[in-house]
Formats: sequence, structure tokens, C-alpha cells
Amino acid sequence: MENLPLLSIVIFLPLVGALAIAFIPRERLALIRGAALVTALATFVVSLFLLLGFDANVADFQMREEMEWIPAFGIEYKLGLDGMSLALVVLTTTLTWIAILASFGPIVDRVKEYMISFLVLEVGMIGVFLALDMFLFYIFWEIVLVPMYLIIGIWGGSNRIYATIKFVLYTLVGSLLMLVAILGLAFNYQAATGSWAGAFDYETLRAFGFDPTLQFFAFIGFFLTFAIKIPMFPFHTWLPDAHVEAPTAGSVILAGILLKLGGYGLIRFAVPLMPDAAQAWAPLIIVLSLIGIVYGAIVALVQPDLKKLVAYSSVSHMGFVTLGIFIFTEQGLLGALTVMIAHGLITGGLFLLVGVIYERTHDRTIAKMGGLAATMPVYAAVLGFFVMASLSLPGLANFVGEILVLVGAFEYWPPVAAVAGLAMMLSAAYLLWMFQRVIFGEVSDFLRGLGHHLRDMDRNEALTLAPLVVLTVAFGLFPGLLLNLFGVPVNDFLASVGAGTLAGRP
Amino acid sequence: MIVFDQATLLAFTPPVLVALLALVLVVVDIARPARDRALTLIGAVGIAAIMAITVVIGPFGLAEAQVGLIPQAGGYEAFGGVYVRDALTAFLDLLLLSIALLTILFGPDYLRPRGLPTAEFAAMLLFAICGAMLLGGARDLVLLFLALELLVLPGYLLAGYAKRDGLATEGAIKYFLLGSFSSAIFLFGLVLVFGFAGTTRIPEVAQSLLGVSELAALPAGLLMGIALLTTGAAFKIAAVPFHYWTPDAYQGSPTPVTGYLSVGPKVAAFALLLRLFVEALGGFKEDWTPFVMVLAVLTMSVGNLIALSQDNIKRLLAYSSIAHTGYILVGLAAFGAATVGSPAEQAGLEALLFYAFAYAFMNLGAFAVVGALQRRPGVTSQIATFAGLGRRAPLLGVLMFLFLLSLTGIPPFAGFWAKWYVIQAALQVGGWLNVLAVITVVNAMVSAFYYLRVAVYMYMRDPAEGAPPIEVGTATRIGLAISAAVTLFIWLPPLATTLIDITREAAAVLIAGS
Repeated sequence: MENLPLLSIVIFLPLVGALAIAFIPRERLALIRGAALVTALATFVVSLFLLLGFDANVADFQMREEMEWIPAFGIEYKLGLDGMSLALVVLTTTLTWIAILASFGPIVDRVKEYMISFLVLEVGMIGVFLALDMFLFYIFWEIVLVPMYLIIGIWGGSNRIYATIKFVLYTLVGSLLMLVAILGLAFNYQAATGSWAGAFDYETLRAFGFDPTLQFFAFIGFFLTFAIKIPMFPFHTWLPDAHVEAPTAGSVILAGILLKLGGYGLIRFAVPLMPDAAQAWAPLIIVLSLIGIVYGAIVALVQPDLKKLVAYSSVSHMGFVTLGIFIFTEQGLLGALTVMIAHGLITGGLFLLVGVIYERTHDRTIAKMGGLAATMPVYAAVLGFFVMASLSLPGLANFVGEILVLVGAFEYWPPVAAVAGLAMMLSAAYLLWMFQRVIFGEVSDFLRGLGHHLRDMDRNEALTLAPLVVLTVAFGLFPGLLLNLFGVPVNDFLASVGAGTLAGRP
Repeated sequence: MIVFDQATLLAFTPPVLVALLALVLVVVDIARPARDRALTLIGAVGIAAIMAITVVIGPFGLAEAQVGLIPQAGGYEAFGGVYVRDALTAFLDLLLLSIALLTILFGPDYLRPRGLPTAEFAAMLLFAICGAMLLGGARDLVLLFLALELLVLPGYLLAGYAKRDGLATEGAIKYFLLGSFSSAIFLFGLVLVFGFAGTTRIPEVAQSLLGVSELAALPAGLLMGIALLTTGAAFKIAAVPFHYWTPDAYQGSPTPVTGYLSVGPKVAAFALLLRLFVEALGGFKEDWTPFVMVLAVLTMSVGNLIALSQDNIKRLLAYSSIAHTGYILVGLAAFGAATVGSPAEQAGLEALLFYAFAYAFMNLGAFAVVGALQRRPGVTSQIATFAGLGRRAPLLGVLMFLFLLSLTGIPPFAGFWAKWYVIQAALQVGGWLNVLAVITVVNAMVSAFYYLRVAVYMYMRDPAEGAPPIEVGTATRIGLAISAAVTLFIWLPPLATTLIDITREAAAVLIAGS
């Protein structure tokens, strides 16, 4: 156990599965689906071993793996695990097997390519969370792009090609500038020390302390990438398109993990590597976050399409994440991290539920729904649970996160907290109104016309949602489960920005 | 008097063997006509053998590559310094031979169904490669020009040798006219430089021009010469605004020839730039660098922007190849803008060489897939022919997707490492080159749009009704496997580290010489 390269295993196990699936004849759908699910579950089990072997009190990266890769430029294959990456890796492995299971019914065309894409996507996502070499990180970051491009573009809705190209171009704009920023930092380090050794090593660079002017420009490259991915207002316009067109499982992963890549990038790389620039940019970012929180909620209020509503609610929730990060307080960051995990579980659940109704009706228009409580009682109850969770009902995971962000924001400057708090009320409004229109009242004519096709959730669907319900409750009632993991990363983060001596704090 | 000493023999062996191989193919074709399969086999095995010999001769600093031969400092000089075999020559030879090998493998699938003879194709190709190899090691202005002509003349023939095809003839004539025009401009530039230097030997040219370069203002004649040389070279690499011949020549030529034209003459022309501008005119780099920077920006931006609106895959790849020329030029600009003696100088040249290497494999691969699709005569070059390729031929689809991603610069494929190398070199120099680096990545982003458009057709559109199955011949399969392996696995430590070591040595030769 001790000597196994667990991190490499958890990253590359899905790749092994994907390669194996490539050799299965494409007619054998059951075998392909089974192999994909087994791979995802095996990866999930390995990630649980990470959890078992992890010590939350050690103030350093754990289970490190280091290997020379391209010594001429000091590029290494370097992995490490801390509480933040651990939580996100386990979230990834959990959501991936759920997403694959949820695809069994809806995806019947080119199943082989679909499963391979999903497993390759998992490689990229886990790799991003574990890489400690900037170069390796960038490679995993870009690997994520390609399978998602295919998933939206091949298995998406009617306007999928527009949506997927928009997704790719938006993401590339940012990430290519980040590449320039990474190389800029690396070269600056090389010029100062006279050697390439360590020029891409995250820990070395973090300790290096770059010139403020360089930080200022490099931060733009990093920030744009992550802001587009999160996505922050005004870089969010790709998200509703991508979500609406993506297949259900694609939306689950997109909202559950891909958006978290942005938050993770800000916390892990953008701020600690460029703390001076982060502080200089913070006021602007806080304002944008507040706009995003309110704007996302208002726009969600008027969406006629269930999926778009959930998509815009993501913009609003992710605003809490960026707000929590850039107020540079302990509560704020803990809250941001908790919102990231909670949003992954809850929005993942909401997208699955939208998928369930879409499977039966081939429609997502809120106005056509109504009275589902009568025809699909279990569905109504589960949707009710996730609606409550999403609007931050106390006792559920999202509440812990958003309230912590609010506490942090209050400490930062009370008006900020006031605006964010107002938006929480808006989120209650759009979610409850949606719930009322879809679930209560008379069964709509549209649904009545479907007759017996409108059956309640089946076993597979319940199985995909059950773990999300359990975890949402667990993290809501026992937030310590999560917060303990985040202690060390939060301290590191705050130390890097020298919290407490904030310039530009009103 | 010419002395055939050991160094001369060693230096000249690879290009001479290539010329001999071309002659063998012609003779075999006369003795046993229409044996295309055998000719391809002889050609491919012959090139592979010459590559092995080139590796053995070196000279690389790598000990294991030197089998029993003692490398001389500065490489093997032939005929008293007219031609030199140093690490740069060896690197370029290997790259050019790989290009020849892949092109010969990709040829028959396309040529045979159209009744185009393989022997002429292979022989012409090898003569051109011989010229390119001579160019790579030329240390004399006269040899430089002769090698250039040996490179381009078979190219004109290849472009037009599908003589019943109107488009091919049109493309070939444009290529020929603009090509000879630019050769004349180039030659005129050489003459002017010779007038000021009084010698044709490149090291001596550099020496004797040193005195001139210290003058406050350059003599108008020399400036004129440099301007003409730059223009001529820009034509050869198809830099904007000297690119107008490219799309027509590429569209009209038989597809395997297009593949060759998009990499072979380009790599050779960059070899010419290295020998001439870096080695002979390195002392004037402040004078030509601004021009190169402007050329680089124009070339990649215009190439990418026009590529966006192409519906013909060959024209699309033609404009994409123009854009890639721009990226490669950034490497040269980085050399030019770097302070003399700084490590950034060498980084720029390394980036140029590395990019040329990665580009050759991924671009040839992409053209091979286009050629495989067109195996059946009558299949057009419209992008629409790619519709549903992912369903019709999954493996071919995956390979094309791989080459497209690599051309876009998505990691971990070859094209990404190449872009990374170039950007890294540019950032090392700093100043205006920082701007150039940002322009490069913005261009890479733009290029994603049209490369992915092809992928959209392959995976997100259904195949045309009754589209026939696609068969791929053995030779093409082998060639695709080679180019895909390089594109996919360039990051593996033994391959990556060796490649970086070799490019470093090749670039170091130029730095030491300039």
C-alpha cells in the first residue's frame, strides 16, 4: 500500500479502461457500458483509498510522486495531494461513475466513443487537481477540453455545434494566455536563478516571489482562464449554451467538476503565485462576483427552460466562490471551498433530475410542466430536496458554504454581504417558483398527453441520485467532515497573501 | 584541386546516396515497367537505409551515434569548405529524409487509381530531397543557389505531373512562374552581397562583412542585396505577402505532392534562411529582424484568417501551412531580436528547428488522411467529404482528429510542444517579442476554429448517402503509423530528450558559426 503510486493510479486508471474499451467491438453495448462503469467505480474505490491514507493534519502535500520528465527545461512529472485536491478528486470520481450510470439509458448512439470520451475526461480532471508542476497542470487542463468538445458536439441537442465551438473557443482564449503566463513565470525564474531546474515546479515558484509588474500581467493570463472556466460574469455566456445542448451526464460533469477547475485554479495557482497582483485585482473581482451573483439569480428567474435555469443558477452560486476567495478571509475561503463541493453535488443532482424529466417528455419547458406531484411523487420529492438544498436550506451542504462566505464578506465590508444576502433571497424565489410551476397544480395537458410514458423514477435513476442526497445531508449536518480537510490549504492560501494586512480593503 | 579526403567522402555520402537511389528507381522502372509496389518498397527501404547511414556518420555529440568515427570539430568539410556536414546538416538531412519516406509511402494509394506513374513521382521527389539536403549543408553562395534550384525544379514537375488535370497544370504554372521569378530575385541579392563581400564562402562572407557592419549606415547596395534576399526567401517559405502561389499550387497538385510541397520545400527554405541569414548575415541581424517580425505577424494572422473561410480541405491546409510558417518565423525573430551572445539567441533557433520537425510529421499525416479519403478518383477536396468520417472509418477519423488537434496546439501532441518551444524562446528575449508571443497564441486560438470545423464534419455530421467504404493501403498505413506515433508520443522522455538534445546541438553550430 505504502509504495503504490496511488495518485498516478487514480489518474491513469480511467485511461486504461478507455484503451480497453477501444478494443471492444462496437455492437456489444452492454459490455462497453459495463466496462466503463467498472472502470469508473474502480477509480472511485482508489480515490477512497486516498481518503483513508490521508492525514488532514500534515501541513504539506502528501503521497507525492516526482519524476524527471524533460530535464532540459526543468519540467517534472510531479503530483501531490492536499485536503482541497482530495475533496475535489473524490467529488470527481463520484460524479463520474454517476454520470456514466446516468448515460446508460439516454445514450444509444456511438456508445463506445461516448464512454471513451468520458473516461479520458476523468483523466484530465483528476490530473488537474493533482499536478504540482505547472506544465503538467497545463497539459491536463487542456486534455479536459477535447472530450468535452466531443461530448457536447456529438451527443448534444439540436444547436450542439454552435454550443461546443463556443465552449472550445472561450476556453482556449483563456488557457493559451495562461500558457504564456506560465512560460513568463518560468522564464523569469530561470533568468533570476540561472537554471531551468524548478522553473515549472509549483512549490519552488510559490516560494520565489515574483516582481509585481510581472505578477500583474501574468495574473491576467491565469485569471482570464479560470474566470472563463468558473464562469464569472461577464465571461459566462458560453455556459448556458453548453449546458442546454450537452447531454445530461455532460451537464452533470460540466457543472459538477469543470466549473470547479476554475475555482481550484484560482485558489491553488493564481493567488499564491501572484499574491500582489491578486490583491491589486481583488476589488474588481469582488465587484464582478457580486454582479454575477445577482445577475445569475435575476436571469434564472425568467428562464423558460429548466436546464437554462439551473445553468444561470450556477453562475450565481459560482459568484459566491470567487467572492469567498478574493475577500481573503478564513471564513470566506472555507465557504468558497464548501460551496464548490456542495454545488457539485446539488447542481449535479438538479441536472440529473432535469434529465429524468427530459427522457420522458423530450421537453424542458417549464410552462409545459405542471402537477408532477400527482404523476411522479418520488421525483417530486427528490426535486424538492435538491431545490431546498440549492436555496441554502440550513442543515444541507450549500447552506454551510454560503453562510461562511457571507460571514467572511461581512467581515470584509458589510455592504458586500448585504448584496450577496439579497441574492440568496432571489435564489429562493426562482427555485421555489420553478418548483411550484413544475410540481404543483393540475397535471398539464402536455403531460397528460404522454399518458403512461410518464412513469416515476426507475432504479437506475434513483441509484444515481441517492449518493448525492446522502452526501448533501452529511456535509450539511457534519460540515466538519469537509472543513477539516480544508484547514491546511486555507492556512497556506492566507499565508501566501499575508491576510490581515490587506491593501485596498475598505 | 579537389581532394577526396575522408571528410569529403563522409560529408557527401547521404545526398549522393539519395541521388543514386533516384537513379536506381528510374532504371528499375525502365527494366521492369509498372511495378509500383516494388518501386515503393525499394524507395522506402532505400531511404530508411540512408537515414541509418546519416545517423552513423553524424556528427552528433552523442557518443553512441558515432560508430568508430572520430567527429571533427565543426563537422566534416567537403571540397575545402563548400559543403559541411555538421550537427545542423545531420538534423536537417534526417528530417528531410523522413519527409521523403512518408511521402513515398503515401504516394501509391492516390497515384495508382489515377494512372499516375510511381517511378517518376519517387525519382523527382528524391532529386528534390537531394537538393534540399545540399542546401542544408551549403557553405558557399553558389552551392546554395544551385541546391535551391535542384530543390525547386522537380517540385514544379511534381506539381504539374497530373498533366490531364486542368487545375494541376494551372497550379504548376503559377508555382513555376512565381518560383522562377523569386529565384531570380534571390540570385540578384546573392550577387549584390558577393559584390560587397568579394567571396562566396559563407564564413568568409560573414568575416568580410563584419567591417561593413561597423559603418554608421549600410551601403545602399548591400541593403538592396539583403532586401532582395529576404524577398526571395520569403517567396520560398510562402510568407505573407509573398504567398499567392501557395493555395493554387496546393489545390491543383496531386494530394501526396501537396503534402510534400507543404513541408519539404518549406523545411529546406528555412535551412536556407539559417545558412544565409544566421550564418552569413548574422552580423546584420538588427537590419533584417524587424522585417522578419512583421513577416511573422502578417504570415500567421493572414494565413489563419483566410483559412477560416475555406471550404476546400487542400486550400484550408495550404493557408494553415502559411500560418505555421508564421509561427516558425517567430523562432527566427527571437534569434534576431536577442542580444548577441545571450542564451535566447540559441533558444530561438532551437524553437525554429523543433517546430519544423513537429510540423513536418503532423502536416504530412493530415495530408495522408486527405489522400486516403481521395483514393477513389472523383472524390473532391471539399471539406464536406469528411462528413461522418468518424463513422465510416473510425481509425482514420481518430488519426485526422489527432493531427488536427496537434496542428491547433492542444497538448500533449507534437504541435503543442512546438508552439510551446517558440513562445518560450520569444518570452526569453522579451520586449517586442512578448507581443509576438501573445499574437502567436491568439492566432493559435483562431486556428482552432477552422481545424475544429473539420472535426465537426467528421464527428458531428452524418455521412453522405451511399458513401463508399474507405480502404487504406499498406504503405499508407505504415506512413500514418509513423507520423501518428511521432505526433502522439513526442513527449515521451527518450524521444523528447533526444530531440531536444539534437536541436540544441544543431542550433549551437549556427551560434558558434555566426
